[in-house]
Amino acid sequence: MLTELETTLLGVMMMVIMLGMGASMTPRDFLIAFRKPKGILVGLLSQFAVMPFLGFALAMMLGLHPALIVGLLLIACMPGGTTSNIFAYFSKGVLALSIMMTTVSTLVAVVMVPLLLSFYGGMAGVGGEYAIPPGNVAQILVVLLVPTMIGMVLRKLNPNIGATVELIGSFMGVVVILFLIVTWVPRNYQLLLDTPAHIYFATISIGLIGMLFGYWVARGLGQDTNRARTISLETGIQNGPLAVLVVTLTFVGVMQEEVLLIPVLYSLFIVLSSTAITIWYRRNATREELARDAAKVVQSA
Amino acid sequence: MTKPAPSHPWLAAYGQDIAPELPPSPYANLAALVEDACARHARRKAFTCVVPNGMNGSHSFAQVGALSDQFAGFLRHECGLARGARVAVQLPNGLAYPVAAFGAFKAGCVLVNTNPLYTPSEMIHQFNDAGVEVLVISDLFADKLARVIPQTGIRHVVLAGVPEFFPRIPETIVRGVQKIWTRSLPPVPKLDVPVLRIREALRRGRKHPKVTDWDQLKPDDLALLQYTGGTTGVAKGAMLSHANILANLEQVRAMGSHHMTGQDCVLTALPVYHIFAFTANLMTFFAIGARNILVPSPRPVQNIQRALENYPVTWVTGVNTLFNGLMNEEWFAAFPPKTLKAAIAGGTALHGAVAERWEKITGTRLAEGYGLTESSPLVTFNPLEQPMRAGSIGVPVPGTEIALVDDNADPVEDGQPGELLVKGPQVMLGYWNRRDETEKTIQNGWLFTGDVATMDPDGYLRIVDRKKDMVLVSGFNVYPNEVEDCLAKLETVLEAAVVGTPDAKTGEAVRAYVVQNPDQSDELTREAVVAHCRAHLAPYKVPKSVIIREELPKSPIGKILRKDLKAEVRAEFEGKA
Repeated sequence: MLTELETTLLGVMMMVIMLGMGASMTPRDFLIAFRKPKGILVGLLSQFAVMPFLGFALAMMLGLHPALIVGLLLIACMPGGTTSNIFAYFSKGVLALSIMMTTVSTLVAVVMVPLLLSFYGGMAGVGGEYAIPPGNVAQILVVLLVPTMIGMVLRKLNPNIGATVELIGSFMGVVVILFLIVTWVPRNYQLLLDTPAHIYFATISIGLIGMLFGYWVARGLGQDTNRARTISLETGIQNGPLAVLVVTLTFVGVMQEEVLLIPVLYSLFIVLSSTAITIWYRRNATREELARDAAKVVQSA
Repeated sequence: MTKPAPSHPWLAAYGQDIAPELPPSPYANLAALVEDACARHARRKAFTCVVPNGMNGSHSFAQVGALSDQFAGFLRHECGLARGARVAVQLPNGLAYPVAAFGAFKAGCVLVNTNPLYTPSEMIHQFNDAGVEVLVISDLFADKLARVIPQTGIRHVVLAGVPEFFPRIPETIVRGVQKIWTRSLPPVPKLDVPVLRIREALRRGRKHPKVTDWDQLKPDDLALLQYTGGTTGVAKGAMLSHANILANLEQVRAMGSHHMTGQDCVLTALPVYHIFAFTANLMTFFAIGARNILVPSPRPVQNIQRALENYPVTWVTGVNTLFNGLMNEEWFAAFPPKTLKAAIAGGTALHGAVAERWEKITGTRLAEGYGLTESSPLVTFNPLEQPMRAGSIGVPVPGTEIALVDDNADPVEDGQPGELLVKGPQVMLGYWNRRDETEKTIQNGWLFTGDVATMDPDGYLRIVDRKKDMVLVSGFNVYPNEVEDCLAKLETVLEAAVVGTPDAKTGEAVRAYVVQNPDQSDELTREAVVAHCRAHLAPYKVPKSVIIREELPKSPIGKILRKDLKAEVRAEFEGKA
């Protein structure tokens, strides 16, 4: 399990990440995003309908232990991670949409995550000592919104500081995962070896299947390819570190270790799978972008 | 022989705002202008460079003055340059550019603007032709030096980065990103000549007394060698004097009239090594104490977003593709900058649809001007107070005479197309070391533009086409622009270019190169192109051959390069001859 110091550090890093997320936004981005709210609504749908169901279905199919079910459901119900923004950026996606989806899903998560957790937790028959008190999740999320606001103000006051904080925030998204690897993996070396393949399968596939569904749900609902790619990444990339934080603030001892397994593995593998997908998306986007640059004006009669 | 147009029918279009007489420039040379502007507006911001993530750096007028003095000191005392020596500046838009360019003026040297995207062989040609002694080059392209420097007379190399003169932290971050993420920062090769970073060059320049003998520069002394490919073969240097540029500044100001003040903020997304942005943005707005927002690379067009969001931009200069690209961005189309006053288009023909849409979206004018490297560049402009005239390049700027002539250099009948000739204080001295070319291009003070134009009764001009691009089919003139416009109306065509090919029967034949519009699911076919043209054009204008391409060759500012296609045609038909 993580020590108290490590848990505090994790909390601080999350705050820095959220500061960076705030610094990547302007009030105008909100206005632009809500001119076409469909993108965000589609995103929310895939984020809070498709993903939790996927998590639940995977958990049932694989017949997991209650501790692992909680971990998987928690990951599946999490809002979008801020690392999705950096992947959206590098895949030349619609950065504003990615940031908005992350922000809006984080806001909505205050209500949705506790609801979804008790719903699917109940369906899966996870209860008693493995239940996550709804208040915990809501509280953590509310606290994280403060640095987000500060980030927005910084960006407005000084673009250089804003861009620096934004970069540090994105960078911190990777640092957090390295931190988890360094603190958690060595102590649970044996556990990793003992973990059966189907659990690895569950943690890797939830992200990838999420991206696949995210893309086609978005395309099916009339989003263009660029927005669909953004929604796809946003859907598959969950806020893994937040799940870790929730677990460490809820469980102790051996239970914590058990429940942490999937969130930590997820956070690790999602970086790898997102990188691969990003490189692929970036190629598609570059091709389309050059064509658009040269596009003639379609005369509006 | 060539006579001036008998009257000046365009003077009515000047209205109340534009004085028909061009005021003389208050300065004897560009160094004096820079010195005066820096002293008068010392504390104001002159240049702000913005990279895509919003990181930025600025120079006040006082800083530009001090740093360009230091650079002048470096050129004269450390490099040992004499007045009149050539200094090549090969930089994308950034804070180092004005330091180097203005430093060269203050040192009495001649600025040789060079496109950073040039290949080593293009660089070697240009540097040798101009006799360049000092090269200021972007560190992004330092890898080209190994091939270029040994084959030229360059004695000193100065390197500058995109984030040069940014505050320390953003500079480190941008450079780190270039080095690690985009890997666009090559190692500097070992050379036989000294290579310094610009800050070190400035530090050395600072040790010497300020260079002040620029006050001996005369108006007709050479200020710029501005290379232009033209449509024929190798690039040649247009010799632009201090007086040429100073006169053109006054001409730009006359047309901008009271819309241009020291409070303005101009978006400079076009490269300043190009004469359009050099004169219109860098020099004119600087001279009146306004602020230039420099964007190092405007492609993709999202790179401009933070620059437009974070600064109160009042003017934008651009080319057709830039305006079109901006309007295709949601962040721009939904929330166009509220501070905008007007936009200037040049470089290549502005599409009427783009201009109309711009006015609808931004509520401001997008006025087209016309010019060429040989005329510093502005020749004509659409007066801002007059209603928009679609497809017109406007009226001659004050102090400019124009004539439309036939192949014998005799004036054409009113309303008929003729080659556009220009006379005025902005017309270059000639081509550097090319007496023959100069004599062909400038006769009796008239600059032969090679563009065929017509004039409306009230003096508004329209460019019909490049004379050299005209295709002669069985004795009929076919203007590629007309055929291209027709092709562009076909939904499946993204863009098109038309050139002539040799033809045994008709002398020349029309050939169209077209690119499929990716937004259209219908496939672009040769048959459809020919059928469309048959429906809209006289038979002799219909392309005899149609070639479908993935893309068309374009210049760095987005002009379609017919000359490259012509070269292909030449190569293709040489084999058959």
